[in-house]
Amino acid sequence: MSQPRILELVKTQCRIFSLNFNPQRLRLGNKILRQRLRGPALAAWYPKKDVSFRDLQNTYKPLGLTTFDEAEDDREEAIQIAKLRGKGRPKKKRTAAESKSAKKKK
Amino acid sequence: MSKMASMFRPKKLDLSGFVNTRLIRDHNKRNAVEQTEPERQALRYLIRNTSLPQRVRAQAQLQLSQMHAYTRPTQIKNRCVASGTARAVFRDFRINRFQFRMQALAGELPGVKKASW
Repeated sequence: MSQPRILELVKTQCRIFSLNFNPQRLRLGNKILRQRLRGPALAAWYPKKDVSFRDLQNTYKPLGLTTFDEAEDDREEAIQIAKLRGKGRPKKKRTAAESKSAKKKK
Repeated sequence: MSKMASMFRPKKLDLSGFVNTRLIRDHNKRNAVEQTEPERQALRYLIRNTSLPQRVRAQAQLQLSQMHAYTRPTQIKNRCVASGTARAVFRDFRINRFQFRMQALAGELPGVKKASW
């Protein structure tokens, strides 16, 4: 086959398979356009948030249904016991004067 | 456009499971990369295309280099989903070697069996 005929063949081939016809082999950056987007795969690495007990509570509380969170109940009970033993958290200092006086006591 | 990392931080944490600061930071980077990937690829195309005027390509280079560091895919580091560790993380299981050992021995990884010969 002659040179122009081969070129014509390649051109047709490129048109049919939607490729870039570039006989001079210029750097046109088409390899960037051919790349697949990696973003969705990268962003899906960590597990997304799923439904928690608190979400259920928030949906069912307004409907007048009662819920019981055992972990939360245990936590509140432990706090009550700590308070009775005098091991509860100190009172929050609301003003600058209060926090100063607390420091001076030392 | 401000160059603060906080602009990639969601108002509410959308992760479950093990969470620490470095893991959240990596997650934010991943989201930033996902959002800006088409823009970055378009700029990369302009830069690589030698048939475009030199001025356009130089402007694209400048614009790409001035994008926030969080939008760069090389900033992403695969971290362990179960412990947040960044070293020796198996890509297939998304956990690091110690977590892998613990979970495999506990039978929590289907198809994983301790080798013996």
